[in-house]
Amino acid sequence: MRVAVTGTPGTGKTTATELLQTDLDVVHLNDIIEDEGFSTGVDEERGSVVADMDAVAEWLYGRDDVLFESHLAHNFAADRVIVLRAHPDTVVERLRERGDSDSKAYENAESEALDVILSEAVSHHGTENVYEIDTTERDPDEVADGIAAVLADEVEPSAGTVSYVDWL
Amino acid sequence: MSEAENDGIWGVAHVHASFNNTIITITDQTGAETLAKSSGGTVVKQNRDEASPYAAMQMAEVVAEKALDRGVEGVDVRVRGPGGNQQTSPGPGAQATIRALARAGLEIGRIEDVTPTPHDGTRAPKNSGF
Ligand SMILES: Nc1ncnc2c1ncn2[C@@H]1O[C@H](COP(=O)(O)OP(=O)(O)O)[C@@H](O)[C@H]1O
Ligand SMILES: [Mg+2]
Repeated sequence: MRVAVTGTPGTGKTTATELLQTDLDVVHLNDIIEDEGFSTGVDEERGSVVADMDAVAEWLYGRDDVLFESHLAHNFAADRVIVLRAHPDTVVERLRERGDSDSKAYENAESEALDVILSEAVSHHGTENVYEIDTTERDPDEVADGIAAVLADEVEPSAGTVSYVDWL
Repeated sequence: MSEAENDGIWGVAHVHASFNNTIITITDQTGAETLAKSSGGTVVKQNRDEASPYAAMQMAEVVAEKALDRGVEGVDVRVRGPGGNQQTSPGPGAQATIRALARAGLEIGRIEDVTPTPHDGTRAPKNSGF
């Protein structure tokens, strides 16, 4: 099974997937992109490299028992897509705590409020393959349990169950 | 309202298009003064199984009417949200909203997509995905 764990930066993907007990290979795509130099350019304004999506897709090709996490993960073929969510204020708090800039924290919070990643995940994979987990009130272990529940077929797909538009 | 008294106010329509909702706010050009805002608790919660652009269009009509009453003649449009920039997106559709603003009698100027980009050490290229 191929599982994509996606979500706005700050929703806790890396933390939760590090805690997850699973037989799948856990891959942190941001590390792969950096280590392998999978980029096509630099976004100076945001301080991000622009990912070479074809190179990442090729790297993932043939890896069949894998769970890959990144805010880009939903752009690649997967059997299930798990979208971690968090209230925009929580996104700001967590990213500031992690040492990110205000502008980065704010743009990610606004992306989260507008469901940018959820919408992309659904348009690529359909509502029948997308699982949302709201991490706002959950600690990392509970988030890892939520991911495990998806892998174990214990929950139904869910998309559009959380809404943070009031934040806007 | 007579056109002679109130001609020429140009505003900005901010369209926030999320997965389930559309919010429309019309401000003056600086963004400081709100001239009209979508009502019904600011947000129209749509049942996704129903024709979802419909509620957004109805709301656009109401907002346009309020703006016209305040003497707004036309608007530049700033769209934020995946409902705005992807034909295949599940959002209710900013395009339908903009058409409704025009149909209600507002002139439409420049349309700008200012959807935020989720980013970390990496970001996706524009229009990525399979
Ligand atoms: N469930 C959680 N509750 C509270 N803080 C969290 C949670 N998950 C992660 N964090 C903290 O938030 C920050 C961002 O987490 P991280 O795992 O790096 O997110 P992502 O990989 O989604 O960008 C880190 O400082 C982390 O310690
Ligand atoms: Mg991470």
